[in-house]
Amino acid sequence: MNAGHQTTRRLVSSVGQSVCRACRHSLSRNSYATAAAAVQTDDSAFQHVPPVASTEPQASYAVKGGVLLSRPPQITRDLHPFEAAYFLYQRRLNERLALPFTRYFYIKKRSPADLEWKRKLRQRLTPARDIGRYKGYGDEAWNDEVLVGANESDFQWQVQRLVKDAEQNGLEDKSEEGGPVRAGKKVEREPVERPLSRVTEADTKGDLKSLNRLLQRTLYLLVKDKEGHWVFPQDRLDQENLHTAAERILKQSGGINMNTWVVGNVPVGQHQHDFAPESLKASPNPHQLGYKTFFMKARIMAGQPILTENKLGLTDFKWLAKEEVQKAVRKDYWQSVKNMLTER
Amino acid sequence: MALRELPLRTASAVLRETTRPAVNAARPALARSASSAALHDVEESSFTVSPPADGAAKEFDPVSRSRARRLRNKDLPPSRYQFRPPKYYRGPLHPHQPPPESDPASRVFQPGPFSLPRLEQTYQSTIAADILTLTYQHYPPGYRAPKIGQRLREWTGDSPYYKNRPLRPPRGSDRLRLLTEPRTFRNIPAITKVTVHAMVPEAQNDSANLHVAGMILQAISNVRATTHKARHNVVQWDLREGKYVSATTHMEHEDAQHFVAKLIDVVLPRIKEWKGVPGSSGDGSGNMTFGLTPDQMALFPEIEVNYDAYPPKMIPGCHITIGTDATNNKDARLLLQAVGIPFYGKLND
Repeated sequence: MNAGHQTTRRLVSSVGQSVCRACRHSLSRNSYATAAAAVQTDDSAFQHVPPVASTEPQASYAVKGGVLLSRPPQITRDLHPFEAAYFLYQRRLNERLALPFTRYFYIKKRSPADLEWKRKLRQRLTPARDIGRYKGYGDEAWNDEVLVGANESDFQWQVQRLVKDAEQNGLEDKSEEGGPVRAGKKVEREPVERPLSRVTEADTKGDLKSLNRLLQRTLYLLVKDKEGHWVFPQDRLDQENLHTAAERILKQSGGINMNTWVVGNVPVGQHQHDFAPESLKASPNPHQLGYKTFFMKARIMAGQPILTENKLGLTDFKWLAKEEVQKAVRKDYWQSVKNMLTER
Repeated sequence: MALRELPLRTASAVLRETTRPAVNAARPALARSASSAALHDVEESSFTVSPPADGAAKEFDPVSRSRARRLRNKDLPPSRYQFRPPKYYRGPLHPHQPPPESDPASRVFQPGPFSLPRLEQTYQSTIAADILTLTYQHYPPGYRAPKIGQRLREWTGDSPYYKNRPLRPPRGSDRLRLLTEPRTFRNIPAITKVTVHAMVPEAQNDSANLHVAGMILQAISNVRATTHKARHNVVQWDLREGKYVSATTHMEHEDAQHFVAKLIDVVLPRIKEWKGVPGSSGDGSGNMTFGLTPDQMALFPEIEVNYDAYPPKMIPGCHITIGTDATNNKDARLLLQAVGIPFYGKLND
């Protein structure tokens, strides 16, 4: 315990109720970083904790717990055309500058695989299979940039080249050109497994309830509450901490059909809702000005919410990306939640 | 040309000389602020020029153009277009300066990056934010962290020899441990480098062992391997001083990300009855090390594809050190667990 700590603790104890329990706990903790501190500084000059005047009865806010349930991105994002072009340029540069491919270390001499390799190399001129026809050595090695309208830097084109390379043996193009087709035995190859589409059925149908939509983006669970507003699942706190409240809210809203993980014990954001003045006059507790919702972050691993038996009066749910959330929720709600949603 | 290659200080030193009236007279023309408006009139920017027509772009064929030029024996002036950087660095005042490393004309230019690794994207979109939430430490408004001053003790006493003496070494060890700063979005731990090290003492008798080890390390890491000699005689370990005994590769950036992803997605799940990384791993400054046995090395896809090319008895095991930005074992372990490496046993905190 050092001087800075003691000052802070004294301040906290003098202030009384204005500092929450978690803060007081963090102040009383002796971490590694502070253990070695030795310099005596006059912290009282800098520490400014505003005094709290106690007035009875106090106007207050109810506290709610909310859950920001999200599904992280499942696949890599689409590259910007400039990024794709840059990567292709660097790979072609690499063909020019790297040591030559050690063929005999990987392919036995005078084997069928060797013949195939030679055929394919004659066609594409370079060991790399997905950078197009490019020669890294010789007088024209400088010509490593693709022309306007070429699709060599396109990701789908590169995937196609790799699949084609795995499927074909280098003789197909010759027969197409009309050259002599060898009458030898036809080697049947196993069909290569194609990569799955990056756009799913849920995307094309516009199914907002599927977790298979927008695989490149983070999806957030939005539910429709009693008043018909789209919000994140939330409920009044009931003598419990935020972490257990988040787990309870998930169970009571979406049922047990979800495999979820609540990340950490601290909220990632908060929303303050003020009641309208006219409804405040009519309410039985006029000192309660509104409620504050503290959002806990959670991840979904599997499953889907089932709202049939939910205890929070929810009527509908959607999985939305960030900009779709903006369109769905009210403006003041968006202002307070937008910074806890990730861009991607 | 030569003048432009010189560093700025040298060029300005040349211009400062008053004994050369010709250069001095040229000075206002070279100053950037004086004639920027005039330059605008003279030089035309590529932004102002309208792009060529569609047909021109389709007909453009740089290779045939270059061939035609060569046929007419009208090659480009060699001094400007076939630039070869100097082989040796002859000091900052030499007129012939090497281009920067990032210039493809440089002799030490390394191409890359070639891709945006999947692991890097996952880290940016998911892992970093989760780690920040998990390790968040709340401080009340108005709190200021106590300043950490001199961490080493001074020599106190009457001895006159204590004056100007270096500070006393830290208690309990020969070096200070790293400080852990409060977690912010700027210092979330990330994987910075990976080192793969293969120790092959058999190489002292038969150097083929070291060649195989080097080839394997290169194949799995995409980086040239470097070899090391034994520094001392150690009889128990059968080491003789000055003999080559081990090979290492250091990976950074894209290579490191690809290697860790390959390890987690392909190699480690295929190891039979693998318990995980021992929890005792970690050097207290963010580096985690674990080992792979020779038969586990064969599970790397790069080795598997031509496993027959390596003599089976010479395949070495290796130690893999994953270096992170973290400043203690706990944070480094949290990062690696988030990335997908399991730990077992007693944890070393």
